[in-house]
Amino acid sequence: MLKKSVLLLALASLSLSALAAELRVMTHSSFSLPKDRIAEFEKQNGVKLSIIKGGDAGEMLNKLILTRANPIADVVYGIDNTLIAKASAAGILAPTSSKVGRTEKDAVLPGAVAVDYGYVTLNYDKAWFAKAKLPLPATLDDLAKPAYKDLLVVENPATSSTGLAFMLATIADRGEEGAFKWWEKVRDNGLKVSKGWSEAYYTDFSRNGGSRPIVVSYASSPAAEVFYSKEKISESPTANLLLKGGVFLQVEGVALLKGGKEPQAAQAFVDFLRSDGVQTGLQTKMWMYPAVAGTAIDPVFAHAQKPAKFSNPSLAAMNSKTAAWVSRWNRLVVKQAN
Amino acid sequence: MNRYRTLPALLPLAFLLLMVAAPLARLLQEGHAGFNLALLQDSYIQWRLAWSLGQALATCALALLIGLPLAWVLARFDFAGRRLLLRLLMLPFVMPTLVAGMGVLALFGPHGVADINLQDTPWLLLYGNLFYNLPLLVRAGVDGLEQVPASRLAVARTLGASPWRTFWRVEWPVVRPWLASALCLVFLYCFSGFGLALLLGGQRYATVEVEIYTLVAYELNLTDAGVLALLALGVGAAVALAYAALERGLARPQRLAPTLRQPAQGWPQRLLLAAALAVLALCCLLPLLAIVWRALQAEAAVWAMLATPEVADALGNTLRFSGAALGLSLLLGLCHGWAAQRWLALRALVFLPFMVSPVCLAFGLLLLYPQYSASVWLLIAAYALLAYPFVAKGVLSAAAALPPQLPQAARTLGATPWRSFCRVSLPLMRPALRRGLAFAAATAVGEFAVSLFLSRPEWATLTTLIYQHLGRPGAANLQLALLLSCLLMLFALLAFVAIEWPEKNHARAD
Repeated sequence: MLKKSVLLLALASLSLSALAAELRVMTHSSFSLPKDRIAEFEKQNGVKLSIIKGGDAGEMLNKLILTRANPIADVVYGIDNTLIAKASAAGILAPTSSKVGRTEKDAVLPGAVAVDYGYVTLNYDKAWFAKAKLPLPATLDDLAKPAYKDLLVVENPATSSTGLAFMLATIADRGEEGAFKWWEKVRDNGLKVSKGWSEAYYTDFSRNGGSRPIVVSYASSPAAEVFYSKEKISESPTANLLLKGGVFLQVEGVALLKGGKEPQAAQAFVDFLRSDGVQTGLQTKMWMYPAVAGTAIDPVFAHAQKPAKFSNPSLAAMNSKTAAWVSRWNRLVVKQAN
Repeated sequence: MNRYRTLPALLPLAFLLLMVAAPLARLLQEGHAGFNLALLQDSYIQWRLAWSLGQALATCALALLIGLPLAWVLARFDFAGRRLLLRLLMLPFVMPTLVAGMGVLALFGPHGVADINLQDTPWLLLYGNLFYNLPLLVRAGVDGLEQVPASRLAVARTLGASPWRTFWRVEWPVVRPWLASALCLVFLYCFSGFGLALLLGGQRYATVEVEIYTLVAYELNLTDAGVLALLALGVGAAVALAYAALERGLARPQRLAPTLRQPAQGWPQRLLLAAALAVLALCCLLPLLAIVWRALQAEAAVWAMLATPEVADALGNTLRFSGAALGLSLLLGLCHGWAAQRWLALRALVFLPFMVSPVCLAFGLLLLYPQYSASVWLLIAAYALLAYPFVAKGVLSAAAALPPQLPQAARTLGATPWRSFCRVSLPLMRPALRRGLAFAAATAVGEFAVSLFLSRPEWATLTTLIYQHLGRPGAANLQLALLLSCLLMLFALLAFVAIEWPEKNHARAD
């Protein structure tokens, strides 16, 4: 029985790939959509979707830039506002638009079509602060004070897009010099630097076996904690610490690639990502807010306080200065801490 | 005779050319990398290089110091469960770094069972290094010490040599080449690693490979990355060549009656055995136990998530990919190991896959073969690339220990070289071949650098799935990742047992 179904499946996929055109979609490694939606898209458009994961968003973009002479995909999802100017400057994107839905005011992503947005910010461990009877820091400067020594873990902006976004927020808020002065102070106050989000969240955050009760994460993480709790809980064990200069708005989008094949199917995929089914479904898969205005928000997001303000550098500045900022950051924070 | 050693070399050489040399050259060409010495005058880069070198050397010294006595005890004393222990010792190799880190922290972290917080101290860093590297050295030491001819030990004792003197004069010369190759591997892993040290010690312990990764993957600065990658390759090549020269000078055929193990007798020996087992358990097995212990606390709902098609697919992929990679590794490893007996350079080339910066390799392959970049064949080739050196190493060591008289006798009796190889040499090398295959399987099942290649959701393996769940917040994700890690260990253990299934005529040898 099993053998038969495997055989049938193999035959079915063989015939599908033989008959249907293939649409190659490059995504970052966090891309995830409900399977039935993808099947529905394939059926409606008569194409086979080949999802290719290119690693972290920054890594993925560089892979696309390197192979622009022989494009390895037709459409790309996951380029965000920290990378869009770089992608445009490299000339790998074809003009893309979508007539589906109206975009939320803040979800600006020139050169691509916005699909979702979210916020990088600080999360804290509620139980830890309750037990330590320590008031929450009210400003980023508080984190440089002795009372908050050894409490913060951040991701290295050189290896993590989460860490990069947080560093960019501090620079947008304080200017480059002001921001690096702050980083120097928190470095001397016992800042811990982790490689990526998973390492920070699962080995350094005090909620998961580490010693740091404040972690750079996403504003939606407290909601995900409720969604993925073992027994259904009504209150998140973590919460957002929304401080001025510590919130970055991340907008992710989709765009056609220059030299890509199947332009019609690619456009259909762009519209598909903006459709209500995907916009609703992505929320509890990728933990981002839908970019199309008026989409119903999943009730679990009530557990995540949505930031009212954020600080982002201009797209042009992020394109021209990010590499230098990351290098300066590592020389200041990582090397000198030794 | 030489022709029969040269021809097989062509296969691994072609493979290395297509999978390593050409992609790397393509990447360097793209970045127009020349030797830009200005970069090396940068004090930050100097510091990174010095740290990479220093910690790799320190780990080698430490692993040797602790690993050799442990290997001696395991090679000389017989006890129940010895065979299982040797298999268990390969499990650290399979564990995704992040999960291993969680296991270590469950013991010695801020909320660990040991009630001492060693996080962010150098102790945990050393411990993490031992966790991954000690098993390599212990296995190599055991293999080497088992080759010591029983008669020589008996002679030494009869002539009144102290155990210490016997060790230095009889056992040490035999085990040295085995240790040298393991140390070479430990050095290369640590020098270019992203590994556990970084996770447990924080970013200040980053190696030069982390710098290369940032330059390539984030900044697309292929010029500077090329310089650093070449430099790292140079250091790796120097170490591998030194090892190859050393081993060639040392390797000599051994008699085939190896020293037999005996049960520990008397209190001093029993104490020695107990102490050795305790150190091994502490360094290599406790973090794994901690993972199992934490995983078993999972709620029923999380256990139920193991029964999803997602997990079944991942298990199937793990089986298929590692199986295919093993098949390719066996072929490449046999050819390379057999051919490398006479050639110093070929011997050093066994380690080439570990000398090249993985991120440079991944990007180079992408540049060179864009049309195959998301094909399953390239993925399997990449797995095999990182797995086959273990097979080649095993063949090389075993071939060096082959008594030349036996194949010579076969040839005299009229056997063709091929027949002599199949009927005489190969069966004699089989135990070493199997050991090499087991390590190759561990590499293929584990994560090593394959995450840098393009992937497809339908290719998700157990390791990928573990990282996917650890990429999201929430207790259920954490629990499922831990359960999947246990599944991975179980799968790997079964694979090790199947590969190293005891042979009837080798009942006493492992």
